[in-house]
Amino acid sequence: MPPRMQSRSVSNTLLPYLTATSSSSLSSIPSLSSSSSQCLSRQFSATAAPQAQTKLRRQMFEWLNTEGAVFKHHVPGETNYLTRLKQRGPETSSDASRPFPNNSSFISEPILSEELRNEVYHRVVEQKMSLRAVSVHLGIDMKRIAAVVRLVELEKRQRAQGKPLALPYARAIHEMVPTTPLAQQGERQEYHEPINDLPAHPLTGSQIFYPVPESRSFTRVEAGRVFSGAPAMEHSEAAEISHPSDLAEKIIEDPNSIAWVGKGANARQILQPADVRIPHPHMVALERDRLAHPNERLAVSEKQSKRLKRQDAIEKERRERLQARREKKLTVVSPEDSRFDYRIKDTIYTPETTGADGRGSKAVGRRYGVPHRDRTRGEIKIPTRVEA
Amino acid sequence: MVLRIRLARFGNKHNPFFNIVVAQARSARGAKPLEVIGTYNPIPKRPTNLYDENTETRPYKEIALDRSRAKYWLGVGAQPSDPVWKLMSMAGLVAPKPTTFHKA
Amino acid sequence: MRNRATNTLSKGKIRQSWSKYNLYNMQRFRSPPTINRTFFQQKWSAKAASRAYHGEQVREGQWKRMFNHRIRSVIPMNASDLAADDGSQASSGRGSGLDMGGKPAYQKRPTPYTQMTFAPLERRLDVAIFRALFASSARQARQFVIHGAVTVNGQKMKHPSYLLNPGDLFQVEPERVMYATGHTKTAYERRQGRLVRRKAKAQTSEEEVEAESKETAEEETKETAEEEAKETAEEEAKETEKEDPKETLKALMAQAKSIMSAGKDTLAPQRKQELRGFQQAVRRVLSRSESSTVLADSLEAQFSQLTLLLKAKRAEKKPDNKDVKLRPEDAFASDKGDRELAAARKDTETAVSDKLSEAFSQATLGNEVDASELSDEEFETLKRALTQMRDNPLDNSKTYSTPWQPRQYMSAFAFIPRYLEVNQNICAAVYLRHPVARPGSAEVPTPFGETIATPAYGWYLRRRW
Repeated sequence: MPPRMQSRSVSNTLLPYLTATSSSSLSSIPSLSSSSSQCLSRQFSATAAPQAQTKLRRQMFEWLNTEGAVFKHHVPGETNYLTRLKQRGPETSSDASRPFPNNSSFISEPILSEELRNEVYHRVVEQKMSLRAVSVHLGIDMKRIAAVVRLVELEKRQRAQGKPLALPYARAIHEMVPTTPLAQQGERQEYHEPINDLPAHPLTGSQIFYPVPESRSFTRVEAGRVFSGAPAMEHSEAAEISHPSDLAEKIIEDPNSIAWVGKGANARQILQPADVRIPHPHMVALERDRLAHPNERLAVSEKQSKRLKRQDAIEKERRERLQARREKKLTVVSPEDSRFDYRIKDTIYTPETTGADGRGSKAVGRRYGVPHRDRTRGEIKIPTRVEA
Repeated sequence: MVLRIRLARFGNKHNPFFNIVVAQARSARGAKPLEVIGTYNPIPKRPTNLYDENTETRPYKEIALDRSRAKYWLGVGAQPSDPVWKLMSMAGLVAPKPTTFHKA
Repeated sequence: MRNRATNTLSKGKIRQSWSKYNLYNMQRFRSPPTINRTFFQQKWSAKAASRAYHGEQVREGQWKRMFNHRIRSVIPMNASDLAADDGSQASSGRGSGLDMGGKPAYQKRPTPYTQMTFAPLERRLDVAIFRALFASSARQARQFVIHGAVTVNGQKMKHPSYLLNPGDLFQVEPERVMYATGHTKTAYERRQGRLVRRKAKAQTSEEEVEAESKETAEEETKETAEEEAKETAEEEAKETEKEDPKETLKALMAQAKSIMSAGKDTLAPQRKQELRGFQQAVRRVLSRSESSTVLADSLEAQFSQLTLLLKAKRAEKKPDNKDVKLRPEDAFASDKGDRELAAARKDTETAVSDKLSEAFSQATLGNEVDASELSDEEFETLKRALTQMRDNPLDNSKTYSTPWQPRQYMSAFAFIPRYLEVNQNICAAVYLRHPVARPGSAEVPTPFGETIATPAYGWYLRRRW
């Protein structure tokens, strides 16, 4: 942090005097017999006022007092970015949300308002709605919803414990940064962010020349197979899939049904179409139903709710199974005469885990006969993860 | 020769970490054992205040143990050292040793 | 590590900092010229400019190991588009898709991949803290980590270069954040802080010496009462006001009273201090009220505005008053009684705070206007003002200027990228995912345009380009 300028007007008005003394002392440099007091004054003046700096500083403070004065304080509810200076003429909404005048591709996106955050928590924790449903209703990414629930829970606990909070700071930030408000009663909730983002898979980066007979339709499913180097599907198999989103249902029920290609270290799962890889595949299914039955709204929505219920149940069952397996492996003992609990985890010692020479990386415990690389240059010594 | 189930110290200075090993009684601590059947981290982990259940729990120490191998080695006459006896008694593999108070 | 992150004006480099020097540098920054310069030179200067901003605390070799030429991107998908087409349209015809009369939607805006060159650095803990607006510069964030003020997933993390994983929750001590983002103290406030600390020290030692039988709380209240009687020092009140709204009110009223009563003989700096503190309170009241021409600079203007506001509201609603003329002193006394009562029975907080706000209004209006019962709206306004005062008290023992207000020029740098979810109240944030590019926008905050980002990306590609 640079030193704060306490009295800039003073330093600026003092400037001519300081430069004058510096020039006089400079003239006295050759004479080595100058007194100690002169020496002191020379050092002082030489550091205090280099000529080039002061001009720049003067310009800076001029700017800060004229054009830049608007940035000193914020106006609640508005952004206050540098872009507003560059923008001569009518200001568009996108310009007001761009913090950097030179970078047109970075936008200061809205954050969740306090009320919206509490609403998310309310729906997930108190109304026990699924993350998926809340995400679709409020237009918030599922990861964000999970994070919000965590953070609000933590906040509640800290309030209960009487830990210090930064309330004025929070208020100031919410005044400076654009926010997504919670809709009033009867209004439609404004979507916070796109929720069906498809991550670009590295396999799709390559350019492939792949001739297809014109008589055959080449869908997203087949494109995925080509990208991952899998052979084309049998005709009968391809005929079964009327639309790529048919795969989504199957894969949600059994994630292991995705076939593998390649051997050994090169083995990879076949790249699935976008309909499967987006966070909300059920939305595609709903749209398809709507297209197929445009006049049966009720039936379509009923079917959708059934589908969601089924998928949620599958998801829940899978989570519970995982949890149970983890718990089965872990026993917690809390002895009376100890200050500590002991968590005993089951491990397996077999030739498979230890390997033929007993040095397998999956073996339990620190390994023998393997060099410690913790002092090697470039080796990462700081933790790479922290268990929650 | 006596087989012992004992701890072998790993980790760094001020940062101990033990393997629970089955080894010949007269072999060196750092020598290659017959088998590594588990680990013991004596540095207690503190609750993080991130979750509700965390706030009440005591600090805990982590043990990893292959129960079936431990049972096997006990069955063939391997003798646990005192610290390992304590750990194994917590895992329910051996009866806990009676505590002695009558030291002069 | 030497701090190279200075904001020198002659170099004009842009840093990850909220300094006004940096703001000025950012404002006058121009992309380096490309004419008459070799490709190497262009890449070099682009690299130099962007590295001064992105991870200047990271050694070049370290950054080169982190760099990845593969850039994460996402494409927002539309469910109805996916439902309407199984992809065969795009491959039909002669392989380039049926002519649908125009390009498909996702090709409209290019994805700014090269703006994401420095995305791996955003994973660093110190940079993430800066991006979450918990520190005023990446260097300061780094210091917070090293000084042990940061936890990751509830455990203390002392490595600024820790690379956050998606889902990691990091938290900074709120006091540090308030210090980093708040106004700095003036010399006067610093001295007051020293006095407070010295007094507290003396007090504790005294207590140790004498009183075993006495309850400390009792003693404190006694002392504060004495102080009030003298009406000399508000420090005691300030000390105790942190938690309790009543104490806050007391301090506030003391302030208001002294401002009203003080003549010329009060010491200038002390008066200034009092005025400033009260100004904050008044400003808060005004900014929350509807007729706000907020941030009127002089105190007098604000004060008259507040008076007008209250008067106007009173004129609207004729009061049917029970307790009419309450001098400030009386209000004070009654409030004290209230306080004891409230201490005895801690039931409804709202009732108490209503009384408090009433007393507050009386204190503010002081001897000018007769205080009478207030309308609900006014209660609301004042109640909010009071809660804000409670959250944001005058406390010279803090490391920042109190009442807390954001530091100058902060708003020009205030944005929170989408890959973080921040809870400002507890100063905690979750690193949701790695930053991504999408059509038309990139999530890595960088002050540089395409003309710098692309050559810088090219520089780190080395021979792969």
